[in-house]
Amino acid sequence: MRKADSTRIRLRFRLTRAFIYFVLILGAVIAVFPFLWMVLTSLKTYGEYALRDPWPKALTLLPYRNLPPTEDVVVDLYPIEEGTWGGAPRSAQPLMEGRIPIEQVSAPVAEQLARRGEAPPLEVFILVADVDSEVEGYDTFYFTVGSRVIQQETVRARLGEGWKAPYYINAPDMERWGPQLIVVDNDPNHFVVRKTWRPTVMLIFNYIKSWYEADFARYTWNSVRLTFISVTGVVVFSTLAAYAFARMQFPGRNAIFTAFLATLMLPEVVTLIPNYAIVIQLDRFFERVLHIENAWLNNWTALTIPFMASTFSIFLLRQFFAQIPDELYDAALIDGCGHLRFLLQVVLPLSKAPLMSVIVLNGIWSWNAFLWPLIVTSDETWRPITVGLSKFTMEAAAEVHLMMAGAAITIIPILILYFFTQKQFTEGIATTGLKG
Amino acid sequence: MPDTTGVARSPQERARGRGARRRRIREALEAYLFLSPAAILLFAFGILPVGYAFYISLHRWRIQKGDFIGLANYTRLLGPSPKVAMLLVGIGLLIGAYYVWRAISFQSGGWQVGLRAILAALLIIGGLTLVLGADGMVRYAAEERTVRQYLLSVLRTVFYSAGTVPFQLIFAFLLANLLFQQIRGRSTFRMLYFLPYITPTVATAAVWRAIIFEPRQGLANTLLSFLGVAQENLPRWILEPQGVVVLLGEWLGISLPEWVVSSPVLSGPSLAMVAVCIYNIWVFTGYNTVIYLAGLGAIPYELYEAAEIDGAGRWQLLRHITLPLVSPTTYFLTLMGIIGTFKAVNHIYIMTQIVGLGGPQDTTTTAAIYIFKQFREGNRWGVASAAAFILLGIILLLTWVQNRVAEERVHYA
Repeated sequence: MRKADSTRIRLRFRLTRAFIYFVLILGAVIAVFPFLWMVLTSLKTYGEYALRDPWPKALTLLPYRNLPPTEDVVVDLYPIEEGTWGGAPRSAQPLMEGRIPIEQVSAPVAEQLARRGEAPPLEVFILVADVDSEVEGYDTFYFTVGSRVIQQETVRARLGEGWKAPYYINAPDMERWGPQLIVVDNDPNHFVVRKTWRPTVMLIFNYIKSWYEADFARYTWNSVRLTFISVTGVVVFSTLAAYAFARMQFPGRNAIFTAFLATLMLPEVVTLIPNYAIVIQLDRFFERVLHIENAWLNNWTALTIPFMASTFSIFLLRQFFAQIPDELYDAALIDGCGHLRFLLQVVLPLSKAPLMSVIVLNGIWSWNAFLWPLIVTSDETWRPITVGLSKFTMEAAAEVHLMMAGAAITIIPILILYFFTQKQFTEGIATTGLKG
Repeated sequence: MPDTTGVARSPQERARGRGARRRRIREALEAYLFLSPAAILLFAFGILPVGYAFYISLHRWRIQKGDFIGLANYTRLLGPSPKVAMLLVGIGLLIGAYYVWRAISFQSGGWQVGLRAILAALLIIGGLTLVLGADGMVRYAAEERTVRQYLLSVLRTVFYSAGTVPFQLIFAFLLANLLFQQIRGRSTFRMLYFLPYITPTVATAAVWRAIIFEPRQGLANTLLSFLGVAQENLPRWILEPQGVVVLLGEWLGISLPEWVVSSPVLSGPSLAMVAVCIYNIWVFTGYNTVIYLAGLGAIPYELYEAAEIDGAGRWQLLRHITLPLVSPTTYFLTLMGIIGTFKAVNHIYIMTQIVGLGGPQDTTTTAAIYIFKQFREGNRWGVASAAAFILLGIILLLTWVQNRVAEERVHYA
């Protein structure tokens, strides 16, 4: 009797546990699945996305097995005859043409060819033109197969520049699995092209492509610099202000603190327009009086300085500074230590945890900022990655696999930061979130 | 306190007094110096802009400053000024009624009776003017396009709040309570739940738009067709301007009367708006869970023990201890959630960018998006600032109301 009871209780307990874990795991799956799906999509080819293949071919072993060896091909170039090349863009005035034979192909390309009833060898048709007169030699290439033009964009390649000059075949799925063609020697009398199959390039092809299509290199570098500048500003200014509020006596302390807190209520859309007007006027003032052009618009100043006063950070640090015992200060005072030295030598070393929270949170906010940068940057010079991505999502709207690669590029730095500092992160949010 | 005695102070004491005073002045000056960078920036980019926004809102201002036109930008958005004034007076009277009602409990005898009469009068007159003013505005909106657009944007914001905040809170409360049990990997779960909140909105909103709510390839519709929804019945999510009530009616085969279909309130938020709501819930549930966890951690464990000894069940513990004691957190999250939906621009911008800012037939144009559209696409800075000011007023009013509600209902531990 008693035993039956206890087993029933144990069973019930187990069921409850199972239910709890089920709900928690379901929640985690919902939270994480969009990210996983993003990564999977970013590794697909256009065709795989369109056909709704759930698992990208790039994550199987198929494309990487039995890759042909790298080889250098000397291409015979001969002067072009007028009108012999079908449909290739003529603006570049091709001077010479040549053919590269490709006997061996990777497995996905062979599969694709077989589906269309074709078989290797393929032939890549090169048109060489001298577009940029400042650059010596031949530096623009068009690739065609047979009579079909497969060139999609002008590829400018200098010596040794690798995967910026991939080879394009009409079927979109093939560009990434085919050989990467690198010009080793661009002397027209001894024109050498290196054929190479690189597994890493095949794997992260979309990332490379979107990285170059949207100039993510510049955007990322901009965002890194902007985040660094504004976080430095926030840390310095907030520490000073928080220290004053926490440990110094001065008239109007509570009133000023209330005024600071009141700014937390203001929605960004309310201050957006006047701030933009203010920045425009500052820009004009700097130009007219100090003769500095673009001192604010399209510059790091407008993108970081307005965010350097962070009420949230001041509040968070003030809470911590106020807990430091008065005896410490009294002792320091006897040693002839002023407020600034006390702050630098005693308070800051004690406040590593809240400072870390401030740095991490502000870093992430600064990286994620979108609306204000969208308005004050009209060119690429200082455009951060979020604005760049939003532009790219419009340009690459149909090429979802590239768009997801771009989104992943934007998210990855934040994820890395988050995984290393997530404790400061959630605790910073939880403590101030409640009290704010 | 050597200063106050004033008599028979030795020169030494006086010097010490002066020294202390000088030290205080020095400290104050130093404090102002410490504060000045943050204060100047907050003033220049936080407080000054509010006044400047008001100044802009009183002018015809299309990139360049134009003529002073008084409150014309406001009447353009809200309708004729007498009606708006009635609405505002109504709100003011109701706020007054609240204070009278508070005062009643402190009075007794004849005073109380008088106050009750005043309360009743305030409530009736305030309510009437409010309703009449609002009714006048709505009537006017039927004729005037600008007013209709603005009032609709406010209505959509209300839909947006109602469609996100309760769900966020319920899911977060559930998850936080489960996480609070003795379970393994609590910090891992917490970290994963928090992920949507910290990743850039631009990126995640693009992900949801492009691979989840995309009508043909998207995950949502793949799942629906897997569950057996016919191809032609699949929803168009972010591209669908039709209200959900109407869509549900069509799907169930009920023919709704014309006055439901044409009413912006009864036909419900558009499916595009619902998609935005789902995204919002996905982002903020984790954030709310983390804050609920902190709130749960603050409840003293002895209370549960005592209640268990008294024979309270799991449900009773939840109902009579957890819920009341966690109510400050709930209150805080509700306020932040509602203000958040009133401020939200980024993810709506990204998710609806593809159909044009503001969604299909403007059905995701909330009050904040309306401001942004007037500012960016219409270049009407004056109108946009007026709309921003109205939004600020609404947010302040909401905060006030919620503070009062909190005073009455929240149990601070």
